[in-house]
Amino acid sequence: MAQVFDRSSNALARASLVLTGLLVIALGVTLDQLQRSPWVTRQGQRADQPIPFSHKHHVEGLGLQCQYCHTTVEVSSYAGIPPTKTCMNCHAEIWTNAPMLQPVRDSWATGQSIQWIKVHDLPDFVYFNHSVHVNKGIGCATCHGRVDEMPLMYMENSLQMEWCLDCHRNPAKNLRPTSEIYNMAWQGPTRGQPVYCAPTGKGGATAQSTECITRQPPSGPEIAFTQEPSLGESGTRLEPRSELKEGGNAGQTVPMIPISAPYQKFSTQMDLGRYLTAQYHIRPPNELTSCETCHR
Amino acid sequence: MKTTDMEQGIGSNATVVTEIAPAKLTLAQVRAKLDGTRGKRFWKNLDELADEPGFHAMLAEEFPRLAGAEPNEWVDAVSRRGFMKVMGASFALAGLAGCTKQPDEPIFPYVKAPEDLILGKPMYFATAFPFPTGAIPVLVKSDAFRPIKVDGNPDHPMAKGKSDALTQATLLDLYDPDRSTRPLYRGQPADWAEFQEAFAKAAKASSGGQGIYFLSETITSPTLAAQWKQVQAKYPSAKLVQWDAVNQDSSRAASKAAFGSYMDAQYKLENADVILSLDADFLGGIAHPGFLPLAAAYSARHRYVEGQTMNRMYVVETMATVTGFKAEHRLALKPSDLEAFAQQLARVMASPSIPNVGRAEGSVVRTAEAVIFANALIKDLKAAAGRCVVVPGEQAPASVHAAAYALNAALGNVGKTVIYTETVNPLPSEQNADFASLVGDINAGKVQWLVMLGVNPLYSAPADLEFQAAFDKVPNTVHLGSHVDETGVLSVWHINKTHYLESWSDARAYDGTISIIQPMIAPMYGGHSAHEVLQSLLDNPEASAFDVVQENAKTYIKGDFATAWRKALHDGWVEGTAFTASSASPKGGASQAPAASSAAPAGMYEISFRPDPSLYDGRYANVGWLQELPKQITNLSWDNAAMMSLATMESLGLAQSDAVEIEVNGRKLVAPALMVPGQADGAVTVHVGLGRRVEAGRVAAGAGFNAYYLRPSGAPSYAAGKLTRTGGTYDICVTKVDTIEHRGAFAQQDLNDKIFDKEGTYSLPGHEAMERAIIRYATLAEVTKNPNFAHENDGDVPGALINKVGYAPEGETPAHGESFFPDAWRYDRKDVSSGTIQNKWGMAIDLNSCIGCNACVVSCYAENNIPVVGREQVKIGRNMQWLRIDTYFEGDLHAPRAHFQPMACQHCENAGCEQVCPVGATVHSPEGLNVMVYNRCVGTRYCSNNCVYKVRRFNFLLYSDYDTESLKFMRNPDVTVRSRGVMEKCSYCIQRIEAAKIDADKQNRPIRDGEIVTACQQACPASAITFGNTNDPNSAVSKQKATERDYQVLADLNFRPRTTYTAGVINPNPELA
Repeated sequence: MAQVFDRSSNALARASLVLTGLLVIALGVTLDQLQRSPWVTRQGQRADQPIPFSHKHHVEGLGLQCQYCHTTVEVSSYAGIPPTKTCMNCHAEIWTNAPMLQPVRDSWATGQSIQWIKVHDLPDFVYFNHSVHVNKGIGCATCHGRVDEMPLMYMENSLQMEWCLDCHRNPAKNLRPTSEIYNMAWQGPTRGQPVYCAPTGKGGATAQSTECITRQPPSGPEIAFTQEPSLGESGTRLEPRSELKEGGNAGQTVPMIPISAPYQKFSTQMDLGRYLTAQYHIRPPNELTSCETCHR
Repeated sequence: MKTTDMEQGIGSNATVVTEIAPAKLTLAQVRAKLDGTRGKRFWKNLDELADEPGFHAMLAEEFPRLAGAEPNEWVDAVSRRGFMKVMGASFALAGLAGCTKQPDEPIFPYVKAPEDLILGKPMYFATAFPFPTGAIPVLVKSDAFRPIKVDGNPDHPMAKGKSDALTQATLLDLYDPDRSTRPLYRGQPADWAEFQEAFAKAAKASSGGQGIYFLSETITSPTLAAQWKQVQAKYPSAKLVQWDAVNQDSSRAASKAAFGSYMDAQYKLENADVILSLDADFLGGIAHPGFLPLAAAYSARHRYVEGQTMNRMYVVETMATVTGFKAEHRLALKPSDLEAFAQQLARVMASPSIPNVGRAEGSVVRTAEAVIFANALIKDLKAAAGRCVVVPGEQAPASVHAAAYALNAALGNVGKTVIYTETVNPLPSEQNADFASLVGDINAGKVQWLVMLGVNPLYSAPADLEFQAAFDKVPNTVHLGSHVDETGVLSVWHINKTHYLESWSDARAYDGTISIIQPMIAPMYGGHSAHEVLQSLLDNPEASAFDVVQENAKTYIKGDFATAWRKALHDGWVEGTAFTASSASPKGGASQAPAASSAAPAGMYEISFRPDPSLYDGRYANVGWLQELPKQITNLSWDNAAMMSLATMESLGLAQSDAVEIEVNGRKLVAPALMVPGQADGAVTVHVGLGRRVEAGRVAAGAGFNAYYLRPSGAPSYAAGKLTRTGGTYDICVTKVDTIEHRGAFAQQDLNDKIFDKEGTYSLPGHEAMERAIIRYATLAEVTKNPNFAHENDGDVPGALINKVGYAPEGETPAHGESFFPDAWRYDRKDVSSGTIQNKWGMAIDLNSCIGCNACVVSCYAENNIPVVGREQVKIGRNMQWLRIDTYFEGDLHAPRAHFQPMACQHCENAGCEQVCPVGATVHSPEGLNVMVYNRCVGTRYCSNNCVYKVRRFNFLLYSDYDTESLKFMRNPDVTVRSRGVMEKCSYCIQRIEAAKIDADKQNRPIRDGEIVTACQQACPASAITFGNTNDPNSAVSKQKATERDYQVLADLNFRPRTTYTAGVINPNPELA
């Protein structure tokens, strides 16, 4: 009986082994890539919304401020989706017959919600809080991209865990002055367009602790004194937050001493970020990346 | 199970996954066991003492019967094999789970957003939970207008933010999927308006309301009482009978006899140095009036604080209760003896000529033990006259109340530690007599309409009244109830009742303050309240509950009404409505007391009837949290039992779990026998509230037996009964196995003194509780001598083996050795910019204050969305409570001492669980928390295996209910859902910590002490739990941990737990020591 397999089969067998290995690797790589692909993450996809609402038109064109609609972004974990009433504030007067706005009028008439599709949809086991981000120097555009240039809303970033951690490990690269949170076009400081920051000496919320300006302060970057009169003679040391004082309520912070704080000049984002990290008391990376920060 | 009652009781649940051989041991064996030990010996249950091979087999696996799962392991009725077939495709794709796309999620924004609503931020509203013994003022956490947590109202002068197990569980009661959803007429859907019309027409047609009878639950609402008075004015012949199966008749009868009118007693335990409880379980729960202030005052005075006299408590009772075990001295007497004891005490106290109690002259105090107890007690009470108090139990007979009045009067306590006020119930009555006369009226054909408001007499009426037969004679029966229950299903009309969280009303609390009950949510199924039923008969039948409550509130709200009304709603109580002490004093002494009921004749036992500690009178039987909650002392779950002492068991030839037939007045019922340490000999206690029929709902149906069947109408407290062994056994459901692990003899590393029993399987909490000093306590004398008793091996403390060489050569809390990681276990990082030291969370539990009432456990259920697993799963140790209360008994079975120890994840710094997790699913946070990452967990259960505290809970099956619509509203949205195959455990309420951190960070400030309150801490009526930042030396928790009595459980293992316990101090009477 003739040989079923001739000698060439050996090579074939070897090749198939190698091929199988490669296939397995390829499959792994494919799945890995697939996981991160927009097909899974929906990054960049425009959902089929009941109304083709244009952020570009409303923000860039009309100049609406983000919080006109997303009212709770500074106080709650949810930024807030506007009720139909918010739409009707204007659209009861203008474009009252536009067929595009029929669902809004229907909702207003029937009392049924407009059924939007969630564009930025985190998994349910992730507890994201808008308020702490916008209060601590993360701008809307950092995560949501240039919403003011989006005729139809889409997700700029993947919102996957590696993307979150990328910033939580090093928040300095994205921190901006709290005055610029809603500035969609904020680019960060450059050599040509530096930012000048100084502690305000005020206690309380993050936004009050530091002042940043983009124009040159009146008396030059190093010697500007723009503070209000001193509250007392007690010391001139920069002490934004007290240590736990014995006997006192731990929550009572000693008011920051309004000292002659000079404006500092920043011409790179990293410099500014590092400065703001300290000023805004951003928690260190080991706390920001700890599991319980986002999962409970 | 042979007899019908028992089959009815457990029929549907009879499939038992495992058969754990129950302990069979005799009194002699137990004595031998206990005699063989040295010094203090703690034990947790009888099985452990018995130490039998069957028990070892059970312990050999941490989660028994895990491998050999039987067909109905999969509770969804799909067999395991079938399940594998069905799920095959899913398993194959399981590896791709990470790649699955999320489905599109819709957003439904408001059309018009409510004012003040910030989605994502909870809101809090004050209201009150009406309860027969007085309303509990509550503050309800509401997420987007869904109530998600019920806690005590911190602004209320009485509740002070504290709550109890029942109050916490009313949340699940609201969302109970078995609630009635619509009115029914003869079982068919009907309309409220039709009922209103028919009822009003019938009333008009009657002559002055003749034949119209209301049978209402105990009324605490002033508005409802006012409405009734209006109805009475319009229909003078209509009758109102208030009746609850568990009521306050004893105190009513006694106060009527003593004062001439019904009075309530308020006790001021904050002023009492010596407390005598005569069968009063006032630390057990709100079944005793005034539980919250009493528990708070008791535990405040029971703390060992410099410069404060510790109180001392004596308890005389039949069944072991948490109050009895908190007492310094406890005497177990069967009910008839207890009555006689109370009366004799009153007689001695009243007449100076009798200095003490003797054994002679027909004294009922029979045993030498009781005589010594009584005489020491009398001396102590006399010495503390005016600073002591006698508290009678609500379920004790009237004569005990009469004795308590006499005792308090003789000791000069009135006005100091006890005051008498008008009753919380605006229409006080003696309910059992009224109910019996109602049945008489029905049988006489006088009743045309029987309108039952929130009662369920077909379940709970005393069997000897033959209520069912009478009920059938009434032409028109109306049932207003939250469920179509035993009564609802047979009534002509059924009206679905609104829950208190859905309706307007008002109610008085123990101290008399009126709270307005305001709805938290629109009625989920329509529904109507008793206010609306009564209003149907009045001139403006369309007036809503809100209208009538607001109208009536004008009678008790002072000042500008609009402002005061808003303030009352906001604060949760109406100022100036608290009762003031009445000047009336009780007439006469013990001589006027009603005659004591006679003792059971020879050969009979005294059967004592008590409301279930978890379920009360049965109205909460369908609340899964309460059914599964391990009952105080016994740890029974989903069951009740004939509870008796070991001597009683012996005399009947019974063993634990044997079925025993109880016969009272010819009515027979079979119950499983359960040994309860400290039970009075010759008395058997049964809990009413279980044994609901199938109409009661998916949870209640079939759990336990209905003891109301035995309870005679004339003697609701106790009755003589006969007990017979039937020969069968019943597998009682007790939560215990989860706390016991398998340890070989090799683990008993005692170098000096070899451990006494080398055989079998050891349980650390059971066998070594004493050697390892899991429970530490001292008497006041000992602690004065050596304040550091919790850490030093004082020769005078018998059996204390703290810092024993052998378990850990380095002793307790050994220092850390060299580590590769110099930063390991360091939590003192400073914030570079502010210089603030980081947070380090810790908890301290004061064992002196803990009263074992279970409020924390139910609070944890609600806060952390903990699933209910069902009886079969509990039996095999799969109950999911993150927090349990361990009860350690000490000493003789007959008169043990007990210690309660709440045990949840200890958040060890050097945690054993973290080291063995192969996938990093349980890790350490920078603030020192031991956190679970559910998504990473693959279910190896190694962590649980390596946890010495046995506090981890595994989702063996999909316990979380994803499908039931109504339950979705109830969930705390800030807690992750746990699916099958995932380990979970106490997180120190991480969601509350994170919320506080975010708030503080936004304001650029450290977290204030007390800003984070864990759910268990919030509920604790005794303030036993403290939580906070241990890096802050001024925080409450740091101060608590700094006391000398602070100790870690199993400190020698070097797990460095963050939860520490404050060793107890007791204040025994030296004469009784």
